[in-house]
Amino acid sequence: MTPTLARPNASSPHEPELEPLEHAYEPLGFVGSLGAAGIDLIVGARELYSVFVRTLHYVVRGRREKGAVIRQMYEIGNRSFLFLSITMGFIGMILVYQAGLQAKRIVPDFTLLGATFLELLVRDFAASLGALMLATRVGAGIAAEIGSMVVTEQIDALRMCAADPIDFLIKPRFLASIVMTLVLVVCAGAISFVAGGLTANIAFDVPLRTFFNHELVDFGDMAIGLTKCLAYGAAIPIVSGYCGLSTFGGSEGVGWATTRAVVNTSLAIIILNFFISGAGFLVFPG
Amino acid sequence: MITFAGVSKSFRPSGGGRPNHVLRDVSFRVPQGCLYGLIGPGASGKSVLLKLIVGLIKPSAGHIEVDGQDVVTSSELELQRMRLKIGMLFQNNALFDHLTVAENIAFPLRRLTTLSDDAIKLRVDERLAHVAMTGFDERMPSGLSGGQKKRIGVARATIAEASIVLYDEPAAGLDPVTSQKIFELLREEQHAAQATVVMVSSDLDRLLTVTDRVGMMYRGQLIFDGTTREAQESLEPRVKQFIHGLTEGPL
Repeated sequence: MTPTLARPNASSPHEPELEPLEHAYEPLGFVGSLGAAGIDLIVGARELYSVFVRTLHYVVRGRREKGAVIRQMYEIGNRSFLFLSITMGFIGMILVYQAGLQAKRIVPDFTLLGATFLELLVRDFAASLGALMLATRVGAGIAAEIGSMVVTEQIDALRMCAADPIDFLIKPRFLASIVMTLVLVVCAGAISFVAGGLTANIAFDVPLRTFFNHELVDFGDMAIGLTKCLAYGAAIPIVSGYCGLSTFGGSEGVGWATTRAVVNTSLAIIILNFFISGAGFLVFPG
Repeated sequence: MITFAGVSKSFRPSGGGRPNHVLRDVSFRVPQGCLYGLIGPGASGKSVLLKLIVGLIKPSAGHIEVDGQDVVTSSELELQRMRLKIGMLFQNNALFDHLTVAENIAFPLRRLTTLSDDAIKLRVDERLAHVAMTGFDERMPSGLSGGQKKRIGVARATIAEASIVLYDEPAAGLDPVTSQKIFELLREEQHAAQATVVMVSSDLDRLLTVTDRVGMMYRGQLIFDGTTREAQESLEPRVKQFIHGLTEGPL
């Protein structure tokens, strides 16, 4: 075969007539930047939705990897338990102390302090605050792990072996996160309540028997709390997994993906909280 | 056979800006059973070209065919089926951090075939022996040297006896002796399997001893496509300068 030159008409052998490559970023105007950010946001939202739908698809029809979900349950659950217990314990103490101080000023009656605190925990705080803590620990971990797999071409290697990264990486984390978020929130909520009870007892002389009162907690509170646990448990791996998969560049990209994962997951939790709480007040008023 | 016809690829920077044209109007053909060497300066689009072959990224324009299958219009499911017959060694080896050496090598067989565990283990042992890594099966990738990782990468790329194998910088960062061994190993593999091979490498001295044909990329364009001898004897200034490592010239 004869050699073929793609540019045989180069005028001078030392000056190849190639157009310069546009490697540099051209600065956009304000409107251009705003438009680009808007397009990125829409594309990102669509891709996030696609990750969610594909995860659900693989939950039903994906390949079962032996031990993958259990391994992730250990990663998410066991390794977060101490962190979540300590933070929720302290939050319980702070909330009860502050609430007690306010109550003391207005109606110096602490009989319903424990009951209202428990209702607040079950309906909202245990799930929301616990999930925010999990977002920082678990979400960052997922994004960093998947992001580093992207930059080291491990994701491409997975795809070469007919393993969809959503099926292989995100699905087990999704299932494990739903289960372990529920378990962790229940445990951390209980620790928070006990810590709050001890604080009320020491700071305001509220008897423990009076504080540990579940009269105000009804089915609606439990249903809303449970729904939040499931929604947050699903959101953390989906959002942080998406941030990890959209990593570009090298270690700087992984750092950026991790930051985005924490910010976006926290944002998702707060937005979900708003909508679930709103729906909860409509379905279970009072 | 691999065919590229007028293939271009651009990446749009996130946050706006002009697209980065990585490949421009690339056309070439790799015949069945050929060992094709792809050379060129850094950032000339070689790795992108490999990923286009297997459909890991889609071209902005042009037509790509692998053994008669249109890669551009194929669905992800069709591409997955096509990848059954393609092995790939990545530039960074891309060994899975959380799997042992044996699990890494067995991974394509576990995903792509219905072989029993015993059959897979036999095949893994045979591959490990072939790349002179017997006894390393339970080690983790983090405990391996660069050369050892490359060998495991080669073992994984060739375990499914693919009819097309792509190697991205198989000897990058290795000492000369290990590099030579890797190239000889790859040549043996190609001869044994009669596979079509596309190999990207900056180690021209060794690469040109094993290739049948050579293509040279420069700033996103394929500026040369011919036999190895033609490449070595080429008077095209950029090809000549690059192959002979001259400091004077247009590059």
